[in-house]
Amino acid sequence: ERLLANPTWSVESLLPPKAGATDTPKISSQQLHHLLRLSALPPPSSPEDEKKMLDTLSAQLHFVGEIQQVDTTGVEPLRAIRDETRAAEKEHKITMETLTEAFAQEKVVGKHHKRIQRNTDSVDATDVENWAVLGSAERKAGKFFVVESERPVE
Amino acid sequence: MLARSAHATFTSLSKKRHICQSCLRRASRAPSTSTGRTLIQSRTLQTDDDAPFRKRLKDAAKTKRKREHASAGSTGDQNIGVNSRAAKWELTVGIEIHAELNTARKLFSSAATSISETPNTHVTLFDAALPGSQPHFQKETLIPALRAALALGCKIQPKSSFDRKHYFYQDQPAGYQITQYYEPFARDGHITLWPHDFPGGVSPEDGPVTIGIKQIQMEQDTAKTVHQPPSTHLIDFNRVSHPLIEIITLPQIHNPTTAAVCVRKIQMILKAVNAVTAGMEMGGLRADVNVSVRDRTAAAPGPGHSFYGISGLGQRTEIKNLASVKAIDDAIVAERNRQIDLLENGGVVEGETRGWALGSTTTKRLRGKEGEIDYRYMPDPDIAPVTIGPDLVQHLANTLPTLPDDNLRHLVAQEGGLLSTKDASTLLALDDGDRLDYYFDVIHHLRSTFPRKRKLLADLGKVTGNWVLMELGGLFKNQEWSAKRVPSDQLATIIAQVFDKQITRHTGKLLLSKKFEGDIRPIERIIADENLHLRPLSPQEYSDLAQSLLDEKPDMVKDITEKQQFGKVKWFVGQMMARSEEGTVEPETAEVVLRELLHLPPMEQK
Repeated sequence: ERLLANPTWSVESLLPPKAGATDTPKISSQQLHHLLRLSALPPPSSPEDEKKMLDTLSAQLHFVGEIQQVDTTGVEPLRAIRDETRAAEKEHKITMETLTEAFAQEKVVGKHHKRIQRNTDSVDATDVENWAVLGSAERKAGKFFVVESERPVE
Repeated sequence: MLARSAHATFTSLSKKRHICQSCLRRASRAPSTSTGRTLIQSRTLQTDDDAPFRKRLKDAAKTKRKREHASAGSTGDQNIGVNSRAAKWELTVGIEIHAELNTARKLFSSAATSISETPNTHVTLFDAALPGSQPHFQKETLIPALRAALALGCKIQPKSSFDRKHYFYQDQPAGYQITQYYEPFARDGHITLWPHDFPGGVSPEDGPVTIGIKQIQMEQDTAKTVHQPPSTHLIDFNRVSHPLIEIITLPQIHNPTTAAVCVRKIQMILKAVNAVTAGMEMGGLRADVNVSVRDRTAAAPGPGHSFYGISGLGQRTEIKNLASVKAIDDAIVAERNRQIDLLENGGVVEGETRGWALGSTTTKRLRGKEGEIDYRYMPDPDIAPVTIGPDLVQHLANTLPTLPDDNLRHLVAQEGGLLSTKDASTLLALDDGDRLDYYFDVIHHLRSTFPRKRKLLADLGKVTGNWVLMELGGLFKNQEWSAKRVPSDQLATIIAQVFDKQITRHTGKLLLSKKFEGDIRPIERIIADENLHLRPLSPQEYSDLAQSLLDEKPDMVKDITEKQQFGKVKWFVGQMMARSEEGTVEPETAEVVLRELLHLPPMEQK
């Protein structure tokens, strides 16, 4: 119990000191607005709000900088926690056997000039398609979703 | 990359697609050393002083030749006006093609693919991006993708993975597109354009052009949007997550026509291996092009921009969503002109995204640098890497349908006579390859029935081509092709009989149309029943018939002998044939006799 009573480390150590001076690059107001636009977030409501955002962002960058100090030579970045054993890789390999059914849906046409034709009869996907797609739509027009936009059409 | 200030390096690096942005930011904090020279120098970067002048002379000769061909009616005024500038400015184009794969189900959900079905009826929870829904990679989509990659000479990567490309738009419910940015499934292919691929059979580079393909990646398609002016959009999610392949070429194209032909040829190859069924006209294939120009005559070429390892290029702009081969040609010409005008007037080309509308004369700006999107590519954690077994790749490579170039080569060089390249291309393109199959079958019959007829076999390709394309093709006109109208063995019989001089060519055509109209009797039977065997007239009978005709129409004779209206000889030939029984008068002999009687020089031997 006594061992766990006093913390020896806090994540705060990775944050910049309250005084604020850091060696992180300064983020301009323009950059902030660009980032907010990219993330579809609303722009700052006031200059104070903007200052607060910039300070938070700066602190976050400092934090990231500290994390980046860790030596990761030879370590592959983790993408997801998966079974990466040989056995699992073998199981997931896509081979002729995996695609037997798909190949059965094709045939070769032509006597001399052979070409491939896929059976284009419609597949039955009702198990995944059968739900109220437009059920939660705020606005719809017939079978379509409706979006109002002032941006120029790309 | 050439050594420059760190800042300049990073500004341009931030536009390069492979550089991980986070690595970039980390590196910019520390003083950097220049990266080593790892890039291929463009072959036109000469440093000796003579080269630019020599090149200018060569280019002037080339543009003169091109002008002569351009007057045959390819792209008209715009090309001629700019030809003199072509000597100074080198155009560089890179293409990105998006093609819809021919699959039964989507890429990351088991919903069915569809075209023009009731909106929002083939949508799974994942396609609608409902929170908590998961992607399920549909392995069957690999089959057409691998075929496409193999047909374009790519190396299949045994392991590839999917990444998220983030941007918000109404046709992208998830807020990101799943694509393959870091590890595409196929790399390092190529496509060769031969002179016959170009309009008029003339290649702008005097010979075949090979364009490298950097990579092919699989990605999702977006929703379909119907625009209701002024600002309403109706969205149909049926198309979300349809599998697409994106084919990225190296910027090795230096001519607008080359770019257009490249796209057309890629489309042809994709269709030949059944990877793609809908072409550009149906919206199944779209192209984005990157265009830049470079001053060839600049004494000391600056470091320039580099893309995919080709350096020394000018600033590029991207033209998005070109939907036809002509649009590609026109848009590139327009954009090149715009950039040259800008640069010659002392301006600077901005790296921006532009659009092209049909019938425009210039491209329109869609998005500038300040609107440039940082896609924040990130490996998709929900999707496992794709490992492809070598047995699958081998099988697909072995069973890949013959590619158009190989078919063409075979047709033109086959033992049994040359089919002209033009005829061969036509034959290949007709009826999804069914016409070609029929052609091969007729030849097969002829070869097996007459293995020793050297003279027939020597001309086989051309003769059969003529019958299949012209005669039979003419009968079909606008009707749908069917190999059953005139069975291949029957046509083979007709050709053999004509060759053997058992019947005249005219009779052959008559028999062909009889069979076409549904006569079920075998050819030999019809010949026997209707007495169509060639029973040539004796020379005396020929002259008598000819003379009587000439006597009937003295005015026409005068037209021929005095007014030199030699075309009318053919009319007499026709009359001789019409007045005799089928199978008795041969037009060639008739013409010879008539010319003799009219004291005309004999006609040239064909």
